[in-house]
Amino acid sequence: MENDQQESLIQMHLDYDGGHILRETVRWSRFLSIVGIVGLSLCLLVLALAGTAMFAAFSRLAPGIEGLGDLAGGLLLVLLLVFFAIFGLLVYMLYRFSVLTRKGIDHQDQTVFAEGMKCLKTYFLVCGILGVLSLLANLFALTKLF
Amino acid sequence: MEIQQTPETFTPLDNYFNISFDAATRAQIRQAANWAKVYAICAFAGYAIALVVAFFGRMTYLSDSNPGALQFSATFRNARILSALITTAVGVFINYFLYRFAVATVKGIDAMDSVTTNEGFNHLRRYFRILGILIIIGLCFVVLGFIFGILAGLSHS
Repeated sequence: MENDQQESLIQMHLDYDGGHILRETVRWSRFLSIVGIVGLSLCLLVLALAGTAMFAAFSRLAPGIEGLGDLAGGLLLVLLLVFFAIFGLLVYMLYRFSVLTRKGIDHQDQTVFAEGMKCLKTYFLVCGILGVLSLLANLFALTKLF
Repeated sequence: MEIQQTPETFTPLDNYFNISFDAATRAQIRQAANWAKVYAICAFAGYAIALVVAFFGRMTYLSDSNPGALQFSATFRNARILSALITTAVGVFINYFLYRFAVATVKGIDAMDSVTTNEGFNHLRRYFRILGILIIIGLCFVVLGFIFGILAGLSHS
């Protein structure tokens, strides 16, 4: 019991400044996530409506791809699905971070607040992995260019 | 016996004070900050590579013997350098805040220092705010493009 009290005193608490800063942070991150969700939805809609025409234009840009036939279409579809899945996960995590952190602060709920921070971690984890992969791709392109 | 009742007046300060950074939350925040640092460093390196490519990269796909093509390649090269410089300046400016968030937050969490942790979150707030403002500016351009496109379409018909 005494240990619990001591631990509670030692623990860091969210003070007024921190709470105010986090509130504004989650406001902007929610805006970004909503824009991302709308943008991804629009991309999916365009793909669903004009997917065939877009694939034809893509074939004209990369003539070699026509030889692959249906396989090229399938490959392109898989690549697009992976793209949408990754960016969908990113915007979803950002949205969950903003909603849960705000809820945790408003309802004084430690568990919900921690869940929000977990979503922020997942968001930056995905960003970090994507950053490393794109850096490797850039380095590979650099070796090809010179 | 008189029962004393304490008045339940919650101020925003009390509201925030009930939230604590316990061990699990601190671990999550530390990991988030570490990955944010990885991302920011990768972004800095990526911008450096983009600058190197823009300044020193060969453009083999434009190395035609046609004089017209050569002129186009020179203009294209200048445009590529300019766009790389602008992208790098904006990207470094944005990711600097992310890097500062990562450094200050890890430092604050490790030292159990609320002030430094708040400073770290303040950098995250700036990072998201700048991204948000840039997106708003981008959306304004998209809307303007749509309006001009519709007007151009109407004037042609």
